[in-house]
Amino acid sequence: MIKTEKVLHLNSSKGRKVRVVREHYVREQVPCGSALCQADCHNDSKVLSGDVTHYVVPDVGVVRDFLEILEFRELQGIVLTQTAYQTVQHTRGRRHYNRLRALLKDPRHDCVLFANEFQRYCYCPRDKGESQDKWHTRNVYNAAVWYYNHLAGLQPVVMITEDSEAISQFSALNSGVYVISTQEYLLSFWPDLQAAHDLYNSIAQTLQERESEVVEKVYTEHLPAEVLEAGIKSGRYIQGILSVNKHRAQHEAFVRYEASASKNTELNSDVLINGAKHRNRAVHGDAVVVELLPRNEWKGRTMALTEGQGEEQTLEDTQSQPMPTGRVVGILQRNWRDYVVTFPPLEEVQSQSRNSQKILVIPWDYRIPKIRISTQQAEALQDQRVIVRLDSWESTSVYPNGHCVRVLGKAGELETEIQTILLENCIHVPPFSDAQLREMPINTQENPWQMDSSEVSSRRDLRDTHLVFSIDPKGCEDVDDTLSVRTLPGGKRLELGVHIADVTYFVREGSLTDLEARSRATTYYLADRRYDMLPAVLSADLCSLLGGVDRYAMSVLWELDAETLDVCTVWYGRTLIRSSYQLHYELAQSLLNGEEVEVPELSQLKGPQRDQKMAELLQALETLTRVARHLRAQRDKGGALELEGVEVRAQLDEEKNITALVPKQPLEVHETVAECMIHANHWVARKIQESFPHQALLRHHPPPKQEFFNSLIDCAKARGFSINTRSNRALADSLEQAVDPQDPLVNKLLRMMATQAMSNALYFSTGACPEEQYYHYGLALDRYTHFTSPIRRYADVLVHRLLMAAIQLEKEGSPSKPLASNKELEELAHHINNKNRAAQHAQKQSTELFQCLYFRDKDSNIDERCVADAVIYAVRTNGFLAFVPQYGLRGAVYLKDREGQVVSVDGDGKCEWKAGTLQRYPDRISTCTSTGTHTFYLFDHVTVRISVQPSRCHTDTLCLELISNKPHCAVQPESQPAGRGRSELVQEVVRWAEEASLQAEEERGKKSKLSREERQFRQSKTPNLYVLLQEISELALLDLSVCQIRNTEEQTCTASS
Amino acid sequence: MAGLELLSDQGYRLDGRKASELRKVQARMSVFAQADGSAYLEQGNTKALAVVYGPHEVRGSRSKSLHDRAVINCQYSMATFSTAERKRRPHGDRKSSEMSLHLKQTFEAAVLTELYPRSQIDIYVKILQADGGNYSACVNAATLALVDAGIPMRDYVCACTAGFVEDTPLADLCHAEESGGGTSLALALLPRSGNIALLQMDARLHQDHLDTLIEAAMTACKGLSEVLDGVVRQHLEEVSVLTRD
Repeated sequence: MIKTEKVLHLNSSKGRKVRVVREHYVREQVPCGSALCQADCHNDSKVLSGDVTHYVVPDVGVVRDFLEILEFRELQGIVLTQTAYQTVQHTRGRRHYNRLRALLKDPRHDCVLFANEFQRYCYCPRDKGESQDKWHTRNVYNAAVWYYNHLAGLQPVVMITEDSEAISQFSALNSGVYVISTQEYLLSFWPDLQAAHDLYNSIAQTLQERESEVVEKVYTEHLPAEVLEAGIKSGRYIQGILSVNKHRAQHEAFVRYEASASKNTELNSDVLINGAKHRNRAVHGDAVVVELLPRNEWKGRTMALTEGQGEEQTLEDTQSQPMPTGRVVGILQRNWRDYVVTFPPLEEVQSQSRNSQKILVIPWDYRIPKIRISTQQAEALQDQRVIVRLDSWESTSVYPNGHCVRVLGKAGELETEIQTILLENCIHVPPFSDAQLREMPINTQENPWQMDSSEVSSRRDLRDTHLVFSIDPKGCEDVDDTLSVRTLPGGKRLELGVHIADVTYFVREGSLTDLEARSRATTYYLADRRYDMLPAVLSADLCSLLGGVDRYAMSVLWELDAETLDVCTVWYGRTLIRSSYQLHYELAQSLLNGEEVEVPELSQLKGPQRDQKMAELLQALETLTRVARHLRAQRDKGGALELEGVEVRAQLDEEKNITALVPKQPLEVHETVAECMIHANHWVARKIQESFPHQALLRHHPPPKQEFFNSLIDCAKARGFSINTRSNRALADSLEQAVDPQDPLVNKLLRMMATQAMSNALYFSTGACPEEQYYHYGLALDRYTHFTSPIRRYADVLVHRLLMAAIQLEKEGSPSKPLASNKELEELAHHINNKNRAAQHAQKQSTELFQCLYFRDKDSNIDERCVADAVIYAVRTNGFLAFVPQYGLRGAVYLKDREGQVVSVDGDGKCEWKAGTLQRYPDRISTCTSTGTHTFYLFDHVTVRISVQPSRCHTDTLCLELISNKPHCAVQPESQPAGRGRSELVQEVVRWAEEASLQAEEERGKKSKLSREERQFRQSKTPNLYVLLQEISELALLDLSVCQIRNTEEQTCTASS
Repeated sequence: MAGLELLSDQGYRLDGRKASELRKVQARMSVFAQADGSAYLEQGNTKALAVVYGPHEVRGSRSKSLHDRAVINCQYSMATFSTAERKRRPHGDRKSSEMSLHLKQTFEAAVLTELYPRSQIDIYVKILQADGGNYSACVNAATLALVDAGIPMRDYVCACTAGFVEDTPLADLCHAEESGGGTSLALALLPRSGNIALLQMDARLHQDHLDTLIEAAMTACKGLSEVLDGVVRQHLEEVSVLTRD
């Protein structure tokens, strides 16, 4: 080691410049991090691959400003110098620095950090009078030269820089080291990587622009961090997350408290931020600091419905009670992500401003302000959806500055829109990389996968002793749960078993697949496709508990008392199973109903053998149903909720055109399976929580806030029902009673509203939460977790590992590996929660997208299918909210248009626009015109016309227009697709399932037979030949419904927006 | 600004050392002829000058003298130019007094004071340039000065600091690392016996980590003792060459 000195000029704490002398030690042995190393460097961490054409050494300026280009995974063999690394650390914010660190740590990226400043021959001290940038560039160049020589010239080294002087100075010096500009590098080495070129241009342009501008201030400056911190501590300021009202994005935003932060008891609601001035450059999602305004400036939130986007009506009389109002004084943490924007059409661009290179683009998300972008490609990009990143928002600028990153495609095309939905929800699902797939076991025709004999002997073998079967939707590929039930010898006890795919056997902790699965956190189900969490070889084959093959499983076996069905003992462990039957829900239900159906697994067999097998299966199914009913009853006693979500499935044909929107149809067997899964989850939760009281991953569902129930209670009152929301038990009971015999929809709507009032169920680590908060409100269980779907949820994978550790702890006294600490687990739980929320949003948005696509092709004035029955479920000042059961749609219906005209109803119920006034009451709204007064009550049935309101920059929206105040009756039975008839059926089946009495059982048997005939009838009547095609497309679709069915509890989470 | 990173992912510290590496130590003995013993020591950029007078009669009031051993009198001061910003009071402030006291305690444990009853030994130390680890530089310099003065000691007294960052103990902290807000532990060791003359730590540290931290500091002290030993031997060689002539 050789000691040198380094002179730095730093700012002292008092703000003066201080000259500081620091020691600097350099050494000869610095690991180079390349696979081609000839000198036995100790490369113990990440290593650059040897099979690339060259290595790239980016200059300081490139890393600082063009890091995003280096993030392209196609760029390989990147050597980041310590000089550049430290410059980023010192000059850019923490986010930028963390991104650089993440890049270096990511095993999927081929880049390493080379500590060049500590290498004896790389480091050169700063010359007198040399500028810092020049010195850095010289150091980077020296590092590049050393690297080339160190690898004995095996690999050419390219240094890329933005400094043109450096190019002329260094390019001719060494033969193996090329110094070129970034642009030239991209052009000559990656001519095909168009995305990188575009990104480069857009960043370069933004940098140029930034240098030349200063005008008057639009916003007040943010306060410095120390002042904010002091203010928060003293209680003068409030800290929280800004969330913008989607419907009034320019005016209304709210700041949500972070619970612990407020000691201020008088403020228990959110703080309203009114107008862009007060919002002071904060963007949706930022962590901000707010100062409250004096009480006389407080405002209320707007209650009127707004039509479309753009125009803003701030009528004083439409506001509610004044609420705390404040202004943003500082921003603690920006939470900017990538935004999808749309370029305006060319005419608009040209008229926009003096500087035609700057363009205001409109984000897809209403809540994000317009973004100013400098680009020369405006012409090419018009009407395209583009990903944009925000760079800065100066106080002198009305809009934030950003730059383009990547073009998604033309607005309005399905593929673009789906990509938009994924991106807006921060879902990143690239195809699995080769390195990840290489980790997977092989299972092909020639080379079938085989079980490991040592593994077989270590597991409990259930292949011969247990009748194991699975019940899933038709065509399901990833079977992650199977069931078994049998009477134990002696007949006193039953044994119920839930066997879950053993994913953790294949996905080792810390492997690439594991990392990928962790970052995805869940399988994403969109309306027409899905993105798997695990590679297909696992999810659809080796992990999937298919029928007739041997598979590894994690099992929970309960011994139940045959009479009382109480749990006597539980056994957890790894097992070996072979599923005998792979049933689907409809088949299982028909078996239970005693219908003659063909079980595919038994079609080979004949005569008594077949009958015997059939009897065994039936016996098992019946026992299972009995046990499930018992479990359900147990939970009902505790107050489990039965809630209603609107679930509609789009039926697609081959070209992804929508042929019908069909509400989901629940059967009792769905509930049976779900009940067993809930039981398994609950018992696993108990086990891991007892074994690891401070670091187990559980799932809780906090009780909802009482004020969220207000609208539900008011609505119910309108129909004379009283809803008791004090506990989940009371709520469940009162919902049970709130049934209108004339209109089954009333109950459904009330349940839907109750669902909206619920908070989300969340994963958490037991160490981070007091024990009384473990409770799961929706399921009425004291402990709950997710265990049963490891193929599509990462939380389950974690729980599997925890359960294995718990078993080991019991056996050997200590787990073999250290477990994730409470803090790590809590962070992970947070990540999974976020991803789950993103997955739900994406799923919802894709469904809405398909709803719009369905109605887009239909002329709403002619097509009968665009006219439907709707129920009023909420009243606003200028209209009401209605639910269309046929399509599962919810939307606003306006009674007053922009010119102030209101809807009048004539004698036979037809509606017209006329001048008049509108009067709103708690449970009704009436229009008063020259022809008379008409009143709309809650739960009235009306007829609406559904049309699509196209939007260029955002998603298309569906628009409801009132055409009659009478319920809509089908004029022609065949033009009215099954939806309506079916939705009634859905109603009835739901109700019957609730009653669960024997009598209803028989009745349902008949009814569902009927329904099947009816369905067939309908299908044969449809003019198209879609029946077959539907079957094919349903393969993908049905998984969506699994996801929904299985998580009955998750239905409670279709959160209110 | 993304803050300092005291220990990089690759295991380098700010100045390019690894976690257990010491700064470069250079020292010379007998730098002044007037004093009984003197030494100059650089530990990285921390530079210390130590001067020893004595043993001699107790100056000032006789009442201070002890009948069975010598009194050790230590004075610590920092040059006004020793830090990045000029220091107003070179000595006599609280920090310096505390440091003087610590030095006194350290050397009372190491010097065989019972050989010189009713007398006094003066140790004056001045920091010429401060870059972290002032205490340890002072102790090491004073040890050399005591050796130079020929005052009998049980052993060399070697001192070194150690810090704790991201579960790794760092030996011999520099100023940037000390002011980084982490734990810093100063240890004075009699290396041959392994006895600890002084141990001081101000910041909070989890009990579980204390042992590893002390262990790291002891290893560093032992390393230092070899360097000091080398300096003394080299000095002896030089002196013996001179006297032979």
